[in-house]
Amino acid sequence: MTTNLIDIQNSDVIMATSNFAENHPVGFQWVMKAKERGAKFIHVDPRFTRTSSVADVHVPLRSGTNIAFFGGLISYAIQNNLYFKDYVVHYTNASFLIDPAFKTATDGGGLFTGLEQTGKGGNDPHVAQAYKRDSWKYQLDGEGNPKRDLTLKDPSSVFQLMKRHYSRYTPEMVERICGIPKDKFVQVAKLYCENSGPEKTGTITYALNLTQHTNGVQNIRALCMLQILLGNIGRPGGGVVALRGHANVQGATDLELLYHELPGYLAMPLRDLHPDLKTYLEKVTPKGGFWVNLPKFMVSLLKAFYGDAATKDNEFGYQWLPKRASADAYSHQHIFVDMYKGKIKGFLADGQNPAVGGPNAKLARAAMGKLDWLVVKDIFITETAEFWKAPGASAKDIKTEVFFLPAAPAAEKDGSLTNTMRLIQWHEKAVNPPGDVTSDAEFFVSLTKRLQKMYAGSKKERDQGFLAASFTYGDDPKEPNMELVLKEVNGFATEEITDKDGKVVYKKGQALNSFAHMTDDGKTAGGCWIYTGVTVEGPDGKLVNKANARKPADEKDYLAHGWGFAWPANRRILYNRASADLQGKPWSERKKLIWWDPEAPGAKPEEKGKWVGLDVPDFNAFLAPDAKNGDKPFIMRADLVGAFFGPLNDGPFPEHYEPVESPTRNLLSKQQNNPVVKIWDVPDQQNNLAPVGSSDFPYVITTYRLTEHHLSGVMSRYLPMLAELFHSHFAEISHELAAELGITNGEKITVSSPRGKVHVTAMVTHRLKPFLIDGKKVHQIGVPWHWGYNGIDALPGSKGDITNDLSATVADPTVYIQETKAFVCNIKKGVV
Amino acid sequence: MARTLAMFTDTSLCIGCRACQVACKQWNELPLEQPEWTGGYQNQSHFTDKTYRLVRFIEKPKPDGQLQWLLMSDVCKHCAQAGCLDACPTGAIYRTEFGTVDINQDLCNGCRYCVSSCPFGVVSFNHDTGRANKCTFCNDRIHNGLGPACAKTCPTESIQFGFRDELVPKAEKRLAKLKEMGYTGAQLYGADSNGPLGGLNAFFLLLDKPSTYHLPEKPLLPQRNVLVDSLLSVGSALLVGVGAVMAFRDRGGKEGGDGVR
Amino acid sequence: MEFVKTPDWHLLIVWYFFIGGIAGGAYFTAAVADNFGSDRDRGVFRIGYTLALLLIGLCGILLILDLGTPSRFMNMMGAFKFWDPMSIGAWMLGVFGLFAFLSAALAWVGGEARAPLRRKLSLLGTIFGFFLASYTGVLLSATAQPFWSEARLMGALFLASGASTGMAAISLLLFLSGESGGVGYRKVKHADRFAMVVELVLLAAFLGLLGSAAAPITSGTFAPLFWGGLVAAGLVLPLLLDLVGGRVRVLGGLAAVLVLVGGFILRYVIVMARA
Repeated sequence: MTTNLIDIQNSDVIMATSNFAENHPVGFQWVMKAKERGAKFIHVDPRFTRTSSVADVHVPLRSGTNIAFFGGLISYAIQNNLYFKDYVVHYTNASFLIDPAFKTATDGGGLFTGLEQTGKGGNDPHVAQAYKRDSWKYQLDGEGNPKRDLTLKDPSSVFQLMKRHYSRYTPEMVERICGIPKDKFVQVAKLYCENSGPEKTGTITYALNLTQHTNGVQNIRALCMLQILLGNIGRPGGGVVALRGHANVQGATDLELLYHELPGYLAMPLRDLHPDLKTYLEKVTPKGGFWVNLPKFMVSLLKAFYGDAATKDNEFGYQWLPKRASADAYSHQHIFVDMYKGKIKGFLADGQNPAVGGPNAKLARAAMGKLDWLVVKDIFITETAEFWKAPGASAKDIKTEVFFLPAAPAAEKDGSLTNTMRLIQWHEKAVNPPGDVTSDAEFFVSLTKRLQKMYAGSKKERDQGFLAASFTYGDDPKEPNMELVLKEVNGFATEEITDKDGKVVYKKGQALNSFAHMTDDGKTAGGCWIYTGVTVEGPDGKLVNKANARKPADEKDYLAHGWGFAWPANRRILYNRASADLQGKPWSERKKLIWWDPEAPGAKPEEKGKWVGLDVPDFNAFLAPDAKNGDKPFIMRADLVGAFFGPLNDGPFPEHYEPVESPTRNLLSKQQNNPVVKIWDVPDQQNNLAPVGSSDFPYVITTYRLTEHHLSGVMSRYLPMLAELFHSHFAEISHELAAELGITNGEKITVSSPRGKVHVTAMVTHRLKPFLIDGKKVHQIGVPWHWGYNGIDALPGSKGDITNDLSATVADPTVYIQETKAFVCNIKKGVV
Repeated sequence: MARTLAMFTDTSLCIGCRACQVACKQWNELPLEQPEWTGGYQNQSHFTDKTYRLVRFIEKPKPDGQLQWLLMSDVCKHCAQAGCLDACPTGAIYRTEFGTVDINQDLCNGCRYCVSSCPFGVVSFNHDTGRANKCTFCNDRIHNGLGPACAKTCPTESIQFGFRDELVPKAEKRLAKLKEMGYTGAQLYGADSNGPLGGLNAFFLLLDKPSTYHLPEKPLLPQRNVLVDSLLSVGSALLVGVGAVMAFRDRGGKEGGDGVR
Repeated sequence: MEFVKTPDWHLLIVWYFFIGGIAGGAYFTAAVADNFGSDRDRGVFRIGYTLALLLIGLCGILLILDLGTPSRFMNMMGAFKFWDPMSIGAWMLGVFGLFAFLSAALAWVGGEARAPLRRKLSLLGTIFGFFLASYTGVLLSATAQPFWSEARLMGALFLASGASTGMAAISLLLFLSGESGGVGYRKVKHADRFAMVVELVLLAAFLGLLGSAAAPITSGTFAPLFWGGLVAAGLVLPLLLDLVGGRVRVLGGLAAVLVLVGGFILRYVIVMARA
């Protein structure tokens, strides 16, 4: 998230689009504090949940229509002149002019200019067609800078194009598509927009409700655009609150346990496009913005990977680094489709339960049956560890050799968690793991050492990097010193570093204070540049672990800079330059955050002027507001401004398309789905999809989480005091639907999709109501996905069918996330 | 006697997360319990010998027809005048120096009189141990400078712990604020020491009338009629006694008299 | 959903109430016979004291068995709370047991010499006997249970029933031992009829005061037992039989049995209505 959970207390209006209170109860306390101060709280959700119970307004909307909603808000703000004009003109690319050949989806029948067939054939739109983005660029002046119209009137300006694009998103259209009554929509739009601006700020929160769609990335773009339109980013009580779906998924993405990036969000090199380090750095380093420093981060990363073996002479080991073979992807869904096709021999599932947790779980289980070997490392015997025992599986036909390695949970090991507000917090081991249980660190360090021993002496090119990999954290390989791991992530000097006057700035091996000190000459190592500063050397030479700091907030420091360490550089609210105007003064006294103090001591003794205030500036602290780029808060973008126009592979502006499975045609345009949506062709009917408006699957289904359970249930369904909180796996259905089908509260029903079916208990409630979509009644149901066939024998309700057997193998075209928030189903009374 | 401790549960801050319910189970090491199907998220319809803190989920529309989901973490009220305590014949139920009510598991012999004498239906009989159980107000914790586990874990501070004489004014201020914000149904339950049962040491801020939350509108001390009922029994004794005496008095006659003594 | 919890008292407690009532009533009858009767009433008071003693022992056993942790029955002696029916009840059961023992002992082996002591003792013991017969009703009313807590005359009613069943028990024993021709028997019967009338009057007042709150026993599943078993067969019919059957001895015996059954039913429906 761009801001900080604690800062939510400063909002004047909070719009939660996700089920905030249920899935982030601890963070939610700040919403309650904001309410104490008079903030208005809006909850947008197809279901009336525990979050809605404390909201001032609940806005039910049909799953999969978030862009229509946000687009409607953007349109409303523009049409009613409620946007923050100065902020928009100066801090965003609203004033930038676009190539006149570019046309918005309003003029393109739902498509932008440039969609072409790729000639690669197949039914997968992601492969068969793509946007040629030649016209999706700024008009440049003679010096190569984007042309601008600060009056925002030029029809080629981003602002006017955005206005034209969202002109179709009227309150009437929002009502037809989302099912939100027009008056309610206007009430909410007014409430939100009028509580944003110089004197007031609004926060919008989201979680998987926006991400798990084939338009996932654009959902979030729409929300971000709304926030910069209203001038809420970088300001107290503003921001985009991305509520992450797991206690440490932020850590997982920061350190890039992902195929497409390297730690610290560096681009993963492509084998053919980036044959050497120089080419890679040239191609991926932008010309402007803070990412111009990418070479320093990349070289430092390589030094962290390969230690002393990485030198100037061998491109710092760049050739050893495994690279993506192509621009194709190896996402979760890609992997399981390949696995099902027999292309993958072995699989290590470390703390992951794809038999339950991923989309099209039946396919995943079938895929694992094609492996030669499977290793599951987890804290309980999960469904994945016993996938051959799944209902419907035929164990004798499965040849996979399965190993189970017991894993230590958080309390049995040292380590860090990085939570949703980029806050790195350390946790200390409370008890020793019993018996054969090992922590991940012990496992991976031991495994590496063993493999390196096995490979020792190998002359093969492909083994050299692995043999050179640096994997030593302390003296005992069985107990890696996690603070040393953190220090390597933080970064350190690989040799003594002096400044130009010969003064020693870093001793050899000393932890770096700041990523600004990273170099591209091999003198620094750093596993994840955004974390630099989390460990520093204290005055006594000992390592200070700031992730372990626990100084609570007080009146002088409401953001609690002394509690943990937030990346980057302990900045709590990102883009906070935007909280001040062009002169460096806060837009209002009420909403001050950082400001330019012209009298403060500068970078050098003879200089004066510094950004000061309530947070660490997310900006060059000594760059004056009137200096070049002193008025550009969005430092991570090449053009340093917030982007309304943001070219992504499915469009520069978010456009509403229906989910892949939908009860209705797209009412906004002729383009039913995301034009480059990723749909897999899976053999053996393992990925059947319902046609639009299918009468066999007429109801919208959304899947979601409960406070009491965790993801695929591994961390909750084996613990009686959590597992007993729900009687059994259930589905929430409206009274209206129950009446139509003759279903009573508490009876077993069968929910089915083209992929599979589940038997659950019907929870009939008023908290779900049918939607009127273009005047037609459309029912929506909800099913949590925490249950699986393992659990506590003495608690039958702790076991249940797998909701993800219902979802499909389809994905967002940019990040390949699944569409588990909106698809279709059917319901039958009883166990069918 | 030390200053009276109290728990103030402000249901306007409750998000129904059940951390309190779980923390209580964990601290008291309560065993596994089969959940009930209640039609909603609530997993027991009422307190049991294994559930001392219970979050209630009540779907009730507002007067204007809008949806409302009232969330409330219910618990033993630790009444200033406790029916269970007055009923207990072994002295197992006692009041600590902090004003909280606890059941000494070493003394209880399972007569279940307390179970029947709680106006709120809190005390429960444990068939495995043969004794009665209820919330202990984390008796071990409060005797070691800590507050109850439920209050500690509540993420929104809906459950607050402290001295009763500090919490009650706080609750009154909160009530005033809520009324200002338009919560016309908001009311305190058990905050008044001059109110029913002498006040409840676990008191509540409700957003609707008590019966909506399955609480008695005006709880009464079960033992309030013992004197009257006893006197009426004495009256009955006199009536019956007179009749019997008259029947046995030797009045001479057919059987012959031996003389009245 | 009703939120008050029931104590889960079933037949053990129903029997205890019933037998405790008889014990108290029998002892009281014996004390009256001893103090106000003639020499020929000796059979009455011997049987009365002895019956009371035996039944009190049985009461103790029933109560101990009903406890969740029977081995801890002595913990009842750990407190004495005079405002708590169960607490004083536990104590009084013991005290009354002591009186019953002494009275029975004096009745069998004390002889005439001890008669004055015996008589004074029994008057004192009667107080505890009355207590045993009636306190269980007050105990039920001192709970949070609807119906029980609304009944003001439960103790009074149980006392009258204890008297009537105690007398019925004694008369039945006399009848079975062939003494039904004696003066004692006739006096007991006379006293019993009076007690039954008092019981009927109290029952009417009990129901009247309760009003609709009496529904758990006057309507629903317990209604047939209540109206048919207690009122008709347990009180009205035996009264009629007694009035008519002065000559036919066996009808007197039958009436006694009916009274006893009625007394059981009274406690059964009241306790089980909140089971």
